[in-house]
Amino acid sequence: MGAQISSMRRIAAGAVAATMLLAGCGGGLGSEAQTVEGPVKIGLLVPQSGVYKSLGDDMKNAWELYLDQHDGQLGGRDVETTLADEGEEASTGQAAAERLVNRENVLAVTGVVSSATMNGVADMFESSQIPLVGSNASPTTLTDVEYIWRTSYVNDEPGKALGEYVADKVDGSVYLLAADYQAGIDEVEGFKETFGPAGGETADEVYTPFPTTTNYQPFLAKIRQSDAKAAFTFYAGGAAVDFVKQFKAFGLDSQADLYSAGFLTEGGVLDAQGAAAEGVLTSMNYNHDLDNEINKEFVAAYEEAYDKKPTTYAMASYDAAKVLDMAIAEAGDDLTSTTLNEAIGGLGDIESPRGTWHFNDIGTPVQMWYLREVQKVDGGYSNVVIDELGTLG
Amino acid sequence: MRRLGGVGLLLLLLALPWMINPYAISTVTRILVIGLLAISVNLLTGVTGLPTLGQSAYFGIGAYTGAIVSTTLTAVGPAQMLLAALAAGVAAAVTGPVAMRARGVSFLMITLAIGEIAYVAARRLDITHGTDGYAGIPPVVPLPGLPALRLDGLVYYYVLGGFLLVFGLVMLLLRSPFGLALRGLRDNESRLRAVGYPTSTFGVAIYCIAGAIAGVAGSLWTSTQQFVAPGDMGFSVAALALLAVVIGGLGSMWGSVVGAGLVVLTQDYIGGYLAGYGMLLLGVLFVLVVYLLPRGIAGLPLPRRVSA
Amino acid sequence: MLDWFDANLVTMVDGVAYGLLLFTLAVGLSLIFGMMDVLNLAHGTLYLIGAYAAYALSDGSWTGLLIALLVGVLAGVAGGGVLAALTQPLAQRGHLDQALLTLGIAFIASDIFSKIFGSEVLPISVPSQVAGSITVFGQVYPVYRLLFIAIAGGLAVMVYLLFERSSLGALVRATVADRDMVRASGVDTRIVMFGVFAFGAALAALGGVLGAPILAPGPSVDETVLVLSLVVVVVGGLGSVTGALLGALLIGQVQTLGVALMPVYAPFLIFGAMLLVLAWRPQGLMSLVARA
Repeated sequence: MGAQISSMRRIAAGAVAATMLLAGCGGGLGSEAQTVEGPVKIGLLVPQSGVYKSLGDDMKNAWELYLDQHDGQLGGRDVETTLADEGEEASTGQAAAERLVNRENVLAVTGVVSSATMNGVADMFESSQIPLVGSNASPTTLTDVEYIWRTSYVNDEPGKALGEYVADKVDGSVYLLAADYQAGIDEVEGFKETFGPAGGETADEVYTPFPTTTNYQPFLAKIRQSDAKAAFTFYAGGAAVDFVKQFKAFGLDSQADLYSAGFLTEGGVLDAQGAAAEGVLTSMNYNHDLDNEINKEFVAAYEEAYDKKPTTYAMASYDAAKVLDMAIAEAGDDLTSTTLNEAIGGLGDIESPRGTWHFNDIGTPVQMWYLREVQKVDGGYSNVVIDELGTLG
Repeated sequence: MRRLGGVGLLLLLLALPWMINPYAISTVTRILVIGLLAISVNLLTGVTGLPTLGQSAYFGIGAYTGAIVSTTLTAVGPAQMLLAALAAGVAAAVTGPVAMRARGVSFLMITLAIGEIAYVAARRLDITHGTDGYAGIPPVVPLPGLPALRLDGLVYYYVLGGFLLVFGLVMLLLRSPFGLALRGLRDNESRLRAVGYPTSTFGVAIYCIAGAIAGVAGSLWTSTQQFVAPGDMGFSVAALALLAVVIGGLGSMWGSVVGAGLVVLTQDYIGGYLAGYGMLLLGVLFVLVVYLLPRGIAGLPLPRRVSA
Repeated sequence: MLDWFDANLVTMVDGVAYGLLLFTLAVGLSLIFGMMDVLNLAHGTLYLIGAYAAYALSDGSWTGLLIALLVGVLAGVAGGGVLAALTQPLAQRGHLDQALLTLGIAFIASDIFSKIFGSEVLPISVPSQVAGSITVFGQVYPVYRLLFIAIAGGLAVMVYLLFERSSLGALVRATVADRDMVRASGVDTRIVMFGVFAFGAALAALGGVLGAPILAPGPSVDETVLVLSLVVVVVGGLGSVTGALLGALLIGQVQTLGVALMPVYAPFLIFGAMLLVLAWRPQGLMSLVARA
């Protein structure tokens, strides 16, 4: 009995020592980038559940549309899209990204809606040297990166684009009200950056608990008391619907103009808001009525395939596909994740439904911003571009 | 027999990075961390009879402490674990007496409130970097002088070490007179008090210990993910930890870990392949476990053999 | 002083509206928990049943609203019956097992709702006569919320009279306080309990149909409703209609007037208030139930 136990112990100790010694070759070792011949695998990391699902659907639709229009190929190679559910939290997003990179061994990844997720996965993409062509999330702090690209915008740009215009147009103070999370804070900071220097006067700056606030009456009452002549806001999704409807229902629209980052009236939320949204002015990098050839074709194709007009979320994902298309072609026969990333960096102007744009040094777009107003169009309500706000990026 | 099974399991755990791919290994690492969180819940719920939805608060405090220590003080893991345990333990000591004034559903709701308040604080404070999360966490150094761990397999060993250490301490605690008194608290508090035990002190003591354990789990989480976000300490984390304990069988520590594994696997792994069905699968898991495993996984009759 | 009221009176009225909405949601949970000792975490799902019925059937006409009410309440009662039946076998097994089961059901239901109705925010139509706004105390206020105050207020009065002033209510209160005694006096308590379960579920669904224009259905709304209901129930005290009303009105004011006065602390207010009440009275503002 004693001999048995001690020999078992020896075996166990030996196994432990062996594993310790050899652990250096263990899991997680990224192999040298292998040249990819033939079909390529691209990871599509978007929310398929939870509050951001509609954005994820838009991004998935546009991605698939681009592939359909190009015979399922990017840069002349057949593409296998691996879909992963980003979920609602950074932890699920990180797990899904890890699966794509470490198990599915994709060439590149696109998508990502949550800024927290993007922050969480940035290190992994940088150290694995796999390009992430993000098509939505864009934290303002993500500046020192080599492998992270974004075809959407930076989180403070919609606010930055509006500041000067609002300062010129509004004769009185402006009330700043946004959802209490980083995106809302960034939008307001961006707005103040151009609003203040242009001579704008702020009535107050308040953040509403997000996503728990469904009743905006207390906040709207404060706007009323402040006598502000306009409000600048940031809301998206369900909060946008609640806010816009209540802004009208509590009579704020007779006192103040409502300006916002474009997400307030983008996509399905506008249908839910209906007449309450009429007259709302927003800034956005895209609108479905932009007058260029590429956009006309894009909108027609998107509407035929999915029975609704494309949003900026869809457009950014479409462009991400285009970026990968151009870069994979550029990388040619020697296609690895690293050469692909270099090719993306070397891309010049990109012809897009939003117009012409290109990447800047930190991997975000240099693009035109538009002012839109919600108007009654063909019996329904729609965003209509009424002015250009200038180029940012 | 059980000792043989234990050694076999240990060998399996040690050999794991050789058998599965890096994504699977990091999933197992996450299971160990959430398992430790579930153990802290079990100490309160299964052993002491106090159902809690607030351990996520101490988990988060531990995680953020680990993050802040790693970027300002030291990347040495055990130091982070110690400071995280301390911070979470202190937080538990401050909030414990409030919670311990109640029992049952009131206790549950107070812990829920603590969890929610901590969650909102994490979203708003500058020190936690708000809702975009705390990034830039350097890879963990297992002991002073050793190189930082960059491979998923090595991080797994570090977390496994921390997990086994805490698990061992918990087992010692449960076998001690204090551990037996806790079960007395669960079964009949007034009688225990009548016999002269200081039940309130014991209650606060176990609350602090459980909080510290959750804090250690939090710092291990930070070392694994190299990122902390407020969502890592929200209501769903607390609820899933409690449910993992129930699935595993109240009072059984290894059951809690298995329960945590089931929940994590269902949500991340399988939900990742059947994109968008994670919630449905979790719901089905819960319903099945309630009806098929009335005493949790630990209540399953194990095959019995004549012992060697 | 008058200035303060001028600024905040409408907010306080809104607080009453919100509080009454919380009451219709929470009173069922309070009775179910107090009566059957069942921790039903699928309570938010019952709200969603009513709210989705409102979305599907309320088309802007009064008949549409009435149909939505009828269908919503019936579906709610059916849902309550299903929950009661499913939790029956767990009667002896303690709250945590009930929590596990009902939460599982809530997750499944939530997923099914998302698959049927999508995960976008849904527009709820109300009859056009009440879709606009009027001036109340010098400020603009939506007509629908005033109507809601009237209806929910009437409902609250009815429920109060039923439970606190009628013999049926006395029977229910007795069953909450001492089930065995009631059973010993010859009443089949199971019928009483199932009846209360169904009634509580019906109220929650009714709250969903009427409350949908204020709190629209969506993916995480069941969780919101559940947490709010639990807070109200615990603050008010289990098993008490008066307690649920007091708790709901208090929380309603915290969420409106409280937010208006202290917007910086807005996300902490509801749980802070709950902690204060529980620290003062761990059993809630008003409690009938002997056991915790």
